[in-house]
Amino acid sequence: MGLVDRGRMPAPLTKLFNMGRSYSMWVYQWGLACCAIEMGAAFGSPRYDVMRLGVIPLPASPRQADLVVVSGTVTDKMAPAVKRLYEQMPEPKYVISMGSCANCGGPYWDSYSVTKGVDQIIPVDVYVPGCPPRPEALLEGIVLLQQRIKNEDMAAKWRNEEFTTLQKTAALQQAEARPAPEPIVVGGGPIE
Amino acid sequence: MVRLSDTATGNDETAALPGDGLREGIVDGLRSDLGDRLLDTHLLPQKDLWVRVQPDAWALTAAALKTQGFEYFCFLSVLDWLPSPFGKGEDDPEAEPTEPNTEIKQGYAGGASRFQVFARVTDIKRHVGVTVKADVPESMSVPSWLPHYAGANWHEREAHEMFGIGFEGHPDLRNLYLPGEFEGFPLRKDFPLLSRMVKPWPGIVDVEPMPVVDEGEGDAS
Amino acid sequence: MTMLNERQQLSYIAAQAADARLNVELETEGMTLNIGPQHPATHGTLRIIARLDGEQVVWAEPVAGYMHRGYEKLTEVRSFPQVTTLINRIDWLGSFANEVPFILAAEQLMEIEAPPRAQYIRTILFELSRIANVSLFLGDLGVQMGAITPVFMAFRDREYVLNLIEGATGGRFHPNFDRIGGLKDDLPKGWIAETKQVMKKLRQFCDEIEDLLFGNEIFQSRTRGVGIIPADVAKSYGLSGANLRASGVDWDLRRDQSLPMAWDQADFKVWTHPDGDSWARCWIRLQETREATKIVDQLIDNIPAGPVMAKVPRIIKVPEGEAWVSTENPLGEMGYYVVSKGDLGPFRVKIRSASFNNISITPWVLKGVYVPDIITILASLYFILGDIDR
Repeated sequence: MGLVDRGRMPAPLTKLFNMGRSYSMWVYQWGLACCAIEMGAAFGSPRYDVMRLGVIPLPASPRQADLVVVSGTVTDKMAPAVKRLYEQMPEPKYVISMGSCANCGGPYWDSYSVTKGVDQIIPVDVYVPGCPPRPEALLEGIVLLQQRIKNEDMAAKWRNEEFTTLQKTAALQQAEARPAPEPIVVGGGPIE
Repeated sequence: MVRLSDTATGNDETAALPGDGLREGIVDGLRSDLGDRLLDTHLLPQKDLWVRVQPDAWALTAAALKTQGFEYFCFLSVLDWLPSPFGKGEDDPEAEPTEPNTEIKQGYAGGASRFQVFARVTDIKRHVGVTVKADVPESMSVPSWLPHYAGANWHEREAHEMFGIGFEGHPDLRNLYLPGEFEGFPLRKDFPLLSRMVKPWPGIVDVEPMPVVDEGEGDAS
Repeated sequence: MTMLNERQQLSYIAAQAADARLNVELETEGMTLNIGPQHPATHGTLRIIARLDGEQVVWAEPVAGYMHRGYEKLTEVRSFPQVTTLINRIDWLGSFANEVPFILAAEQLMEIEAPPRAQYIRTILFELSRIANVSLFLGDLGVQMGAITPVFMAFRDREYVLNLIEGATGGRFHPNFDRIGGLKDDLPKGWIAETKQVMKKLRQFCDEIEDLLFGNEIFQSRTRGVGIIPADVAKSYGLSGANLRASGVDWDLRRDQSLPMAWDQADFKVWTHPDGDSWARCWIRLQETREATKIVDQLIDNIPAGPVMAKVPRIIKVPEGEAWVSTENPLGEMGYYVVSKGDLGPFRVKIRSASFNNISITPWVLKGVYVPDIITILASLYFILGDIDR
């Protein structure tokens, strides 16, 4: 991986890697509330059968996962655990926020104990709206994420993490110049 | 037709619903146990029964009810009779603020204090339940029901966390729900919901103009 | 129903005695085991802290509150129709059943009653949500003991019931279909015939689960004689539903109280079991699913004609008063103590949820069991986190 370490990746190799990554995503199911059952229906039921999309929903721990689906209400008591889980995942890592509660607090927008959206704690790549979203909506979110991974500049992602000090500064400057990617919203425009 | 549900119990108790006589008997039994510490009762015939006791007889009531056959513990909680000083946060944010209502008016079976503990127990054999209430004294604590009903443990912890009411004799009034750094007692009426203060409720106050609807498709309602 | 025969009982006692001897001979150091808050064995985000002596639990304490959303406070700032949207999400597997006691309490205060047709449809949807809820329990039961297959079967057959609920109400999960005074809508065309088909399928599912799981030797040895709760302890902790009936207490609110619902028009059996162990709790739930399909079958042929909505004012103001209504929900007794001051919204709502009491017994019942039994006992007590924390 010498080329990757130097921050250069030949385009065909990136394509190959990306294809591999997008079709072997290990999903950690962080089921919290009602949405967890719909996530279970999407991942565990024969009707929706997520494995045909190249998604493996059975990692034993977040340390083996590429993607985490946060489904359900995140409370202030649970928030530190969510953050810790995210930190345990290896790079490159992706987050799907499933359901209104995880997106923005949902019906508990005025509650004293609910975090108003999981994006206050960890960065989110895909928002799936609904209360709860149907399993099909979650599958669409996963497909959209796979499309993003296929077009991703993998080296940029790695440059941010693995570099020694000298090269790191240069890479960071480069990374700052790069605009942050817009999050995907299933079925429509951006979330305010 | 032979109904299976009848054979299970042996008699048809649902048809002959226990009437007033049953609930009046319960009140009489309590009166003989508690004397004038039974302060007030409220009886809806054929429906339900409320009794109010003195706070120092709170635990005694549990014992008396249990000997009467009320073995099933349903719940225990607290009522805060102060009207909320914040309203619902649904008023027009530009309108003049109205004077908050501070009149404390208790519900069934009366009362004299802002906070009341109330609990419900059920007699499974006679198919009847009782709601017991007691005023919370100045010391903000009442005796615990734990020696009589083991299920009161978590309910008293919850009541302590949500209202700040103490329960004498409860071994462990730790927080049940909220993280350690949380301040205040959320279910008290004077605990504000900050999100509602920051942002008006969008359902009643139209903060955005309604989208224009084409003619002939009916109105937005 | 199979019972332990004498030889099995003797061998069980002998095994327990051997274990006890072993524990005396080998001194073990105590350790504290933390399970959760996110752990596959805890069905959600319940955290258990257990103090162990070797393999035995000396002391265990569940830590709740990871799903506390503050329902009781939020109901105070909502109007009555808005509250039903919220309370759908308490027990998220049997959502429709959550709405019914609250609506009945409001109706009791307003002194109105839903028309008979609405009462029948309410009862049918109530039982359908019971089936949707308990069928997932039956599937999940196997997972706790290492059997993966039943959960796929449960998800497969549960979809049929969810389709029915969606067909009638428009919502797979959270119907929000109940209104004060009746229902939002009537049943769609063709729904009744489809329901009958699905009920047949669900009875088949129950038979399959009974064959696969309840007759399984591993399942029996993991659950028989484990986590025994005697009747008086169960009552004093306020256990309800199948957990109480598994301890031999014959108490079912569908039969034992009179509500404006159609349960008294159906013929069903309230099952009890004398053992009070994990197996009894699971078995009662299996029988209850069967009974629920029978209730639906009986009621669906006799739905009376008429409107589904009584005459109610356009803006709902509930008169001053207090009301307590509870029903036999899939998880146990769920009730609402509604205090109204004549406003648009309730003054205070005390939500008595079944799992809160059902789980408060865990420190008592987990004392002295072995570590793997923690998981089977918790699974058999059957809780839903939203129902504990609210």
